[in-house]
Amino acid sequence: MLWNSVYNEFIKITAKPRSYLGLLAITVLVGVILFALKVDGKSMISFVTSSFEQTLSFEGELLNGNLVAFIVLQMLIIHIPLLVALVTGDLVSGEAASGTIRMLLTKPISRTQVLLSKFIAGAVYTLCLIIWLGIMAVIIGKLLFGNGDLMVLNSDGLVILQEQDVNWRYLGGFAVAFLALLTVSTLSICLSCFSSNSIGPIVLTMAIIILFTIIGTLDVQLFDSIRPYLFTTHMASWRSFFEEPLPTADIIKSVIILLAHQVLLIGLALYQFNKKDITS
Amino acid sequence: MLRLLTLIFLGWMPLQLLAQDGTAQLQQLMAKWNLVKDYTVQVNIRSEIPLIKSFPVKATLYFKQKDQFRMVSKGIAILPKQNFNELPKFLQQKDRYTALITGSELIQNQKTTIITVLPSDDSGDLVLLKVWIDSKTDLLLKSQTTTRSNGTISALYEYGSQRAVGLPDKMIFTVEVKKFKIPKGLATDINRSSSPDAAKPTPKNGKITISFADYQINKGIKDEIFRK
Repeated sequence: MLWNSVYNEFIKITAKPRSYLGLLAITVLVGVILFALKVDGKSMISFVTSSFEQTLSFEGELLNGNLVAFIVLQMLIIHIPLLVALVTGDLVSGEAASGTIRMLLTKPISRTQVLLSKFIAGAVYTLCLIIWLGIMAVIIGKLLFGNGDLMVLNSDGLVILQEQDVNWRYLGGFAVAFLALLTVSTLSICLSCFSSNSIGPIVLTMAIIILFTIIGTLDVQLFDSIRPYLFTTHMASWRSFFEEPLPTADIIKSVIILLAHQVLLIGLALYQFNKKDITS
Repeated sequence: MLRLLTLIFLGWMPLQLLAQDGTAQLQQLMAKWNLVKDYTVQVNIRSEIPLIKSFPVKATLYFKQKDQFRMVSKGIAILPKQNFNELPKFLQQKDRYTALITGSELIQNQKTTIITVLPSDDSGDLVLLKVWIDSKTDLLLKSQTTTRSNGTISALYEYGSQRAVGLPDKMIFTVEVKKFKIPKGLATDINRSSSPDAAKPTPKNGKITISFADYQINKGIKDEIFRK
């Protein structure tokens, strides 16, 4: 019964034009970045490496598909949460606003299963977005720019990863990025349970992400104790896969915190949805 | 007045003699290098630069007289700014410098003559070049290049199969490393707190080791290789 409900929820998602907006936005944005890098990528790279090139010279193709994919991910992973929230934020509240939730809850399926099916459908949609981003960034990037070693620029130095050592890092990075976006999806569905209009949870999700990001970025001692527990701090953990040596403990910690957020938000959403008086 | 002129003359004479000696020794070194019209060699580059984490990189190096160099590497290799082709290129231009013997030193248990090379052009990038040449074998064992833009780069040379033509089996560069600081906005890892290593003082020198193997000497190399 749950899987039938998941299927129905996914049909509903695919029927909404806004669901394709995310895929379209990724296609256009990645296309623009790839075009810009193809035209003027080398000057951008030399701007980045100029700090090192006073003493050293780099031989080999710095601007390759792996670096392009990394730049694309770095630029877009901050904006993808909006595309996720746009669809998942009204999975419950949208039905409340249009009045279909009453009919939905008359079916012989528990409220918990109805809500869980929405969470799963939201997760599948998020997975589709991240896979599409991966295809556009990594596969198209490598087709256009070729393969090669990956040069990653961190605030405390440079890491050069060998070509054969990169693909598994992308897989790991995408997996953690998916978990981060799944947290956003869970948050927006949870907020959606508290609202009866479509826009509110979407806006509120973005507001929370912006607020937490600002708290995470501000170098104020007051926030030092809460910063490690904000999910936004761990949204950039996909980058950890591109460090050498691999900070396994940090990655595990990030995964645990993201999963803990998801469990907490799903629990809160289930509690609210089960006790909610459906009047619309 | 006559006494002063004599003193100046006496001071200038040995300097001139030494300068000639230095040039002659450099000519012997270059005569050895000039036996090689072209070569292809497989290189392995290992960089140990503060704040840069990298793996050894394999590459193929092509050289053809007079000064055509090309390195083909699939990966990203880090080399010193003044790398192996700069020194022979500069020393070939005899009119651009004055060479003085300034001492001797033991390098790799070999007695070497230190030759200080002063560029004629005061405004050029090269400030000073010092080479340590094994007097018995005419092999370059050490060099130290000081430039305005890149600071001082030293190189140690180890020889093996190609010592007869003065081509090394290993070169170890020591480069001065300035403090690299990437702005957080540029690196975009804004949520990442500084690693505990960041607080540690950064070493001032980096080391780049280049190992050469499988020399193919005077086999002929097409010019197209250098045009790519």
